[in-house]
Amino acid sequence: MTSPDSINLEHLNHDRFKSWSFSQNICTTCGICSSSCPVSGVEGFDPRKLVRMVRLGFQEQLVETRWPWICTMCGKCAYVCPMKIDIANIVRGIRSLRDRDQVPGILHKGIDAALKTGNNLALPKEDYLFILEDVAEEIAAEPGFEGFKAPVDKEGANILTTIHNKLVNTHTEDLKHWWKIFHVAKEDWTLVSENWEGTNWGYFTGDDTAMKTFIGRIVEHMEQLNISSLMCPE
Amino acid sequence: MFDLLTDYIRSGRIRLDKTKITYRAAYHDPCNYGRKSQELFGHGYYEEPRWILDQCISDWVDLFPKEGHQYCCGGGGGTLLTPYRDERIHYARRKMEQIKRTGAEMLVVPCHSCHAQIKAVAETYGMPDLRVKYLWEVVADIMIID
Ligand code: SF4
Ligand code: SF4
Repeated sequence: MTSPDSINLEHLNHDRFKSWSFSQNICTTCGICSSSCPVSGVEGFDPRKLVRMVRLGFQEQLVETRWPWICTMCGKCAYVCPMKIDIANIVRGIRSLRDRDQVPGILHKGIDAALKTGNNLALPKEDYLFILEDVAEEIAAEPGFEGFKAPVDKEGANILTTIHNKLVNTHTEDLKHWWKIFHVAKEDWTLVSENWEGTNWGYFTGDDTAMKTFIGRIVEHMEQLNISSLMCPE
Repeated sequence: MFDLLTDYIRSGRIRLDKTKITYRAAYHDPCNYGRKSQELFGHGYYEEPRWILDQCISDWVDLFPKEGHQYCCGGGGGTLLTPYRDERIHYARRKMEQIKRTGAEMLVVPCHSCHAQIKAVAETYGMPDLRVKYLWEVVADIMIID
């Protein structure tokens, strides 16, 4: 089923989401959220309908439909909602209820890989360090950047920075912008050799446990290397 | 990130050559630095990137609507990593209309997801030549190097 247009009333259960604190019960069904949402109408989706279904406890249909996965959790609907209903987090809550092997795309696979290897790509440490060095050498070949090096695991640096996995995959050129800025600003900065992943896909899939693990790793780096500032543009 | 760039520019640790970018640019507020940051940390980053752009580009403009009312690019919340490509393209139509209306040749975004999404859909919406750049990329491009 892609769109829950036929509702099985046996699934109606007002108490289902009682513990959710997103104010879903005070929705006035005004529809302002739906007018503001760029994907209203796609597969019968609109946020007002979704909030209503949460209110009525139609859990099976909500979890099964694509709705929470085509919504980008952008928060525009909540921004205009007169009742301040936290619609984006309701969506995240519904995402969290899917069986993990039913999570669409590469989201959960990336999380699994990151939990095991420290990054979403399962990129081995040697390859990762090789890419960093390679890019650093390219920068060093440019005028004004002679002798440029990308510091790794530098204790006591001023700034620690994480990496978006695509930058050590298909977009290595885009590693250069920040590195060059650091160089010109004479910043004392460092990358890390392990658990360097800057994205947190646990946030996307509603996986709080994974999300906390990933954040915990960054905190651990900062404690171990004695660094107080983090630059995480992911 | 914005604070750091602002600090480098204000303190003179990096100097910029504003004459380098001669065409019009437009700025897009990512949901996470705007609405989400406002909600979670009590501060939406709206002014900071605009101040930075003022230092970088003489002709840059806002999309309409902007800031808290900004449209999402359509690639956020992990949707870029799902197979729902058609939905993503459809989602982006408002964003692309916004950009088209400004007449800008370049869109500046400070977000990896927005960057990937706009690049992926630009051609579909008849803007194959639209340049999409990270805010820090713009800064790095026009930095004065001694
Ligand atoms: S804008 Fe708020 S109150 Fe109105 S329908 Fe949407 S969720 Fe309900
Ligand atoms: S958070 Fe989801 S439902 Fe709300 S406006 Fe954005 S895409 Fe639409």
